[in-house]
Amino acid sequence: MVAADGLEISVENGEYLCLLGPTGAGKTTTLRVIAGLTRPDSGQVLLDDRDVTGLEPEKRNAVLLSQTYSLFPTMTVAENIMFGPEIRGMPEEEKKRTLVELLDLVRLTKRSSSYPRELSGGMQQRNALARALATNPDVLLLDEPLRALDARLRIDLRYELRSLAKGLGLTVIHVTHDQEEAMVMADRIAVIRYGRIIQVGTPREIFDHPATPFVATFVGQSNFFTGNILCSGHGRTTTVHDDEGRIVFARPSTLPVDSKVVVAVKIGNTRVVKLSDAYLTGTVERTLFEGRIVHLDVNVPGLGRYSVKLPASRRDQVAVGDEIGLNWDVDKASVFSYPEDGLEKELKVD
Amino acid sequence: MPEVELRRIVKRFGKVTASRDIDLKIADREYVTILGPSGCGKTTLIRMIAGIIEPSEGKVLIGGKDMEGVPIEERDIGYVFQNIALFPHLNALDNVSYGPIVKGMDEKDIQEAPRCYLELVKLLDRMHMFPSELSGGEQQKVSLARALASGAKLLLLDEPLSALDARVRMDLRYDLRRISKDLGLTVVHVTHDQEEAMTVSDRIVLMRNGQIVESNTPEMLYLAPRNLFTANFVGETNLLEGTVKEVLEDRSLLELRDGTMVEAQPSRFKSGDAVVLSIRPERVHPASEGLRSVVKSITFMGTYIRISVETDSEDQVNFDVSTSEDRDYKIGDRVDLIWSKRSGILYPRPPEGVQEAIKLE
Repeated sequence: MVAADGLEISVENGEYLCLLGPTGAGKTTTLRVIAGLTRPDSGQVLLDDRDVTGLEPEKRNAVLLSQTYSLFPTMTVAENIMFGPEIRGMPEEEKKRTLVELLDLVRLTKRSSSYPRELSGGMQQRNALARALATNPDVLLLDEPLRALDARLRIDLRYELRSLAKGLGLTVIHVTHDQEEAMVMADRIAVIRYGRIIQVGTPREIFDHPATPFVATFVGQSNFFTGNILCSGHGRTTTVHDDEGRIVFARPSTLPVDSKVVVAVKIGNTRVVKLSDAYLTGTVERTLFEGRIVHLDVNVPGLGRYSVKLPASRRDQVAVGDEIGLNWDVDKASVFSYPEDGLEKELKVD
Repeated sequence: MPEVELRRIVKRFGKVTASRDIDLKIADREYVTILGPSGCGKTTLIRMIAGIIEPSEGKVLIGGKDMEGVPIEERDIGYVFQNIALFPHLNALDNVSYGPIVKGMDEKDIQEAPRCYLELVKLLDRMHMFPSELSGGEQQKVSLARALASGAKLLLLDEPLSALDARVRMDLRYDLRRISKDLGLTVVHVTHDQEEAMTVSDRIVLMRNGQIVESNTPEMLYLAPRNLFTANFVGETNLLEGTVKEVLEDRSLLELRDGTMVEAQPSRFKSGDAVVLSIRPERVHPASEGLRSVVKSITFMGTYIRISVETDSEDQVNFDVSTSEDRDYKIGDRVDLIWSKRSGILYPRPPEGVQEAIKLE
């Protein structure tokens, strides 16, 4: 099995990079290779331009925080934090100062003599983070650091973790399967699948200009339309039609006329419009209130289910059974050549 | 008619009380989610409905019948666990057929029912695969088919999506609701994920510290939470501390810490009452004049941009602007904020402090 395949990426000093992909994509393997816990079969790992591929983990100045935190159950919060400095023989004075600083940083000063089992999930996560930071690393490697926590708590901790890393000037590589988490936390996102990096970019680049149909649906969910190009070319709106004579529009593309393509548009960028302005028409099958937005399932005959997110303030304007029109801003729709292995396989997120 | 009723349920584990005086009625064909942070007692509750554990006090009724002493296999329920619990040495079809065979259903049902439910979760073409050959999402779909194959009309889901990837969860929660509604099931679904709860439920029961905090439709819980904890837990919100100045017929006026006057819904408070104002980020808008603030961070969220500011009243406020907005926000920019008085809700300022009242763990 090839877990990471010809993978190449560079991370800037002080950058927060999220490695985003589905389970089994090779994210954790990549992180372990960087940490020195797994040897690559071929290739190099460089930290600060220095080849560290053959170096032991503790000589890399990169520390890995594992998904399960791996705190020592028989040690207190403070003992867990001081484990690394102790082993490295840090002078007593410096040890004391480091401990006070780190406890304060992760807000566990009052819990310094508690044991891991007495802490909540969020506290355990912060304890493990402090232990990782105690060795004063330049590079922090986070493997799904928020996965074990409750959904609502995760939302708050995203901001907290990012600002802590930024405050310390750390370079962070953070592995996650959660595209929302990556969008909110990352300076840049690297999307990984089948051991390969598919796209690297800012959250905005990844969301607005996905490199493949998979990225289009993995990061932010998209609606898809399959057809052939009628018009295309530099600076010209791409026009795509299907066998049923439906026509949709998308941003400029260099793919040639007549080629079989897939148009992708984010469900959040799919608009409900008057039938006269519609690219596609369909029947509302279901409306689901989701708080700030209302989720609509729309059955478009011959194409299947399209999803739309409407601001909740417009929820009274659409009801189940309504015939509605759909269109989108041309610049929000991407055009891809039809995937060789078929669209269904390309879009599989699981 | 599998309606479920819990009457004054108390459950103690040694010194810990996991459920305190729980009264809850779930109607036939209703999809109810029990939502709450870790340790709130939601799992204990669903296990008592299933018969995995017995309450210390009170009664569980299913279909009007007292369940005391009735073991799980005689309660006619389907149960899906958080950690996928398929038989690893059986393929998908045999996993789903297990219930009907053990229950001694007739040969025709044993042949037909499992295929029917596998079709429902769109896995008929993979029925000969073993769990290890299926993805996490597919395995959980097989678990669902297995739970339903015996024909149970009451489905209990114990964090069914928690072990799956975020993106897979999104697709599966729509499927869960669709299938339950198509089959006319009564569903009790336990989760810590408020987004999941909002999407799947007819009604959400929010729990904390072994008690029900509030129970209502997703829409009412989001738009008109009766409780400060609910306002913060079910969707994000901004909380501003202030003092009531005046309550009029169409609005309440309050003074923030720096003396700024802002508006909220009409209320029963009196002048001088210490209150907390809750206002959702999507309801706060920039304006030429309003609550003064400074931009602290800007986050791209895909279809919108989240701006975080600190107000002159020393409150943290988040608001959302469209990605097509003309104005280009920068950290350190001054911005004035307004909102419609209808979207601000007032709560009494909790004596233990706001942070303690909304604590998530």
